[in-house]
Amino acid sequence: MKKQILTLVAAVGLALGGGVVQAADPVKIGLMAPLTGSWASEGQGMKKIVELLAEQQNAKGGVLGRKIEVVTEDDGGDPRTASLAAQRLTTKGVVAVIGTYGSSVTEASQTIYDEAGIPQIANGSTAIRLTEKGFKHFFRTAPRDDEQGRMAAQTIEKLGFKKIAILHDSTSYAKGLADEANALLKKQGAEVVFFDALTPGERDYTAILTKLKGANPDVVLFTGYYPEAGLLLRQKRSMGWPVPFIGGDATNNPDLVKSAGKEAAEGFYFLSPPQPQDLDTPEAKAFLADYQKKYHEAPASIWVVLAGDGFRVAAAGIAGAKSVDGDKVAEYLHKNLKGYSGLSGPISFDAKGDREGEVYRVYKVDAEGNFVMQKL
Amino acid sequence: MEEFFQQLTNGLAVGGIYALIALGYTMVYGVLKLINFAHGDLFTYGAYLGLTLLTSLALTDRLGFALGVLVLVLMVMGLVAVLGAILERAAYRPLRESPRLSAVVSALGASIFLQNTLMLIYGARFQVYPDDILPAATLHVFGLYLPLMRVLIVLASVLIMIALYLFIQKTKIGTAIRAAAIDQGAARLMGIDVNRVILLVFLLGPALGGVAGLMVGLYYGQINFTMGWVYGMKAFTAAILGGIGNIPGAMVGGLLLGVIEALGAAYISIAWKDAIAFLVLILILIVRPTGLLGERVADKV
Repeated sequence: MKKQILTLVAAVGLALGGGVVQAADPVKIGLMAPLTGSWASEGQGMKKIVELLAEQQNAKGGVLGRKIEVVTEDDGGDPRTASLAAQRLTTKGVVAVIGTYGSSVTEASQTIYDEAGIPQIANGSTAIRLTEKGFKHFFRTAPRDDEQGRMAAQTIEKLGFKKIAILHDSTSYAKGLADEANALLKKQGAEVVFFDALTPGERDYTAILTKLKGANPDVVLFTGYYPEAGLLLRQKRSMGWPVPFIGGDATNNPDLVKSAGKEAAEGFYFLSPPQPQDLDTPEAKAFLADYQKKYHEAPASIWVVLAGDGFRVAAAGIAGAKSVDGDKVAEYLHKNLKGYSGLSGPISFDAKGDREGEVYRVYKVDAEGNFVMQKL
Repeated sequence: MEEFFQQLTNGLAVGGIYALIALGYTMVYGVLKLINFAHGDLFTYGAYLGLTLLTSLALTDRLGFALGVLVLVLMVMGLVAVLGAILERAAYRPLRESPRLSAVVSALGASIFLQNTLMLIYGARFQVYPDDILPAATLHVFGLYLPLMRVLIVLASVLIMIALYLFIQKTKIGTAIRAAAIDQGAARLMGIDVNRVILLVFLLGPALGGVAGLMVGLYYGQINFTMGWVYGMKAFTAAILGGIGNIPGAMVGGLLLGVIEALGAAYISIAWKDAIAFLVLILILIVRPTGLLGERVADKV
């Protein structure tokens, strides 16, 4: 209330002074990020990228002829802190909010923004349920967990494998991905010759590998995590079995190569959202160069870049809807924003607020143990 | 048929490790009627100490592969044995006269302490043995793929077990251990220093567990601070399967458990392999409550 009175007083003062009231009043865009806590490096990256983008946008004249002001709140990577941060942002008059990283943290803030009619664009939250609740103001630039299953099936088809073995580790993430890929592969007419789970945390997987080998697949899709993937690759090599392995994004970790050894890891494929340095549009390259120049580092992860895309989409939404009304911006993002050229590739949103189109890329481990993005 | 024999060798290799660890459980149980739940963590210490010694002393670079690994084995055995003796002194001896449950609780506490100490020292991420130390050769015999290291590990564990068996059966100290296991009071009356026997058991068991840990590290490469729990439970099961308190029983139980797991995974279901192994354990205990080779009726814990 006090703030509104102050604004009023300021407005009156400016009007009396003959100033341009509308132009001086900035458009506020909120950022909710884990600036502290265990995901602090992601959160700090999110803040850096959004601030740089706002600076660049303002240099080009801002949006609707007004400057953009970024209002940042710390969610601490914690659902309780996030609900407080969300409440603070809703009272500060932000038009849209970018963030946040963890799915459960985002979940704690969803209702608050939705009730306040503020579009929220999450950058790192991949849990399926977030967009299954019918929120009209929720969007995400991150892919959904089931998107990866589709990508796995498609990659296997593109690489020309016909007989597929699927191995998961019974965790809800890995089994979900395995089930998704299994259903899609069968629909494509591929032959799934093996579907079973290993027990994570063991050392010896030769019994499983021997059985897998007996099924004689062209490729093995392993949907679990990198420690087991490392052991599987190493033991597969000592069995003298050259079958290719494909992993999910939980295998995207340099420790995989350490554990398997370079010889055994070479040729391993995995799916993952692109690493920031692999973003290949001229726009992304130019922006990453600016980022490097300003902060003397590359963005911490792809999730940081996706927060940047969240900001750009929000600005595009405000410009497109020609309004700072949350409902109108959300409607524009749902219906009119198609194939927007984001840093991480084209961005469109479906009716649920999920990102349409491919985010996942295929990586392959080279002889030196580096992760190299593949063009398929 | 080839696949069957391949799975059989897979099972024996895993079982050899179980057997080495199971020996520690069974010897302590035989003499003290105590389940040493911290034994699995001593196994993990073997793996971590092995890694530290291997990388910091560059043993295989200086002494060559065979001699280097041999020296490493002896060093790890010695260090883990000392750790076992300290454990006995700190966690079990003060409770010797207390109700048996106190000692079991103390064992669980020691296990948690050892595990967390390891995590604080080395960090929570897994550690990796350098992969260029061991020959990566694989023997191809009768259609079976037998990695050379695997064959060596099985041979080494069998040799160690035979040596232990002979030591217990043929030497005077071994006789003293057996006597203390049958009746501590009577053994004391015969002039056997039971405390020394117990100390010896706590040197031998952990030494074998430590070697098992080192072998796991050398062969599988990846070690983490919680791995002693899974191996410990499996080895404990193997000791019961063979008849706890019985040394040949632990060897047979370990090898058998490894083979049951491998064949269960191969012919029934991978995801159910542990359930299958435990089902077999239950069936065997229904028919033979004292385990396969157990003679004495098991005391309650």
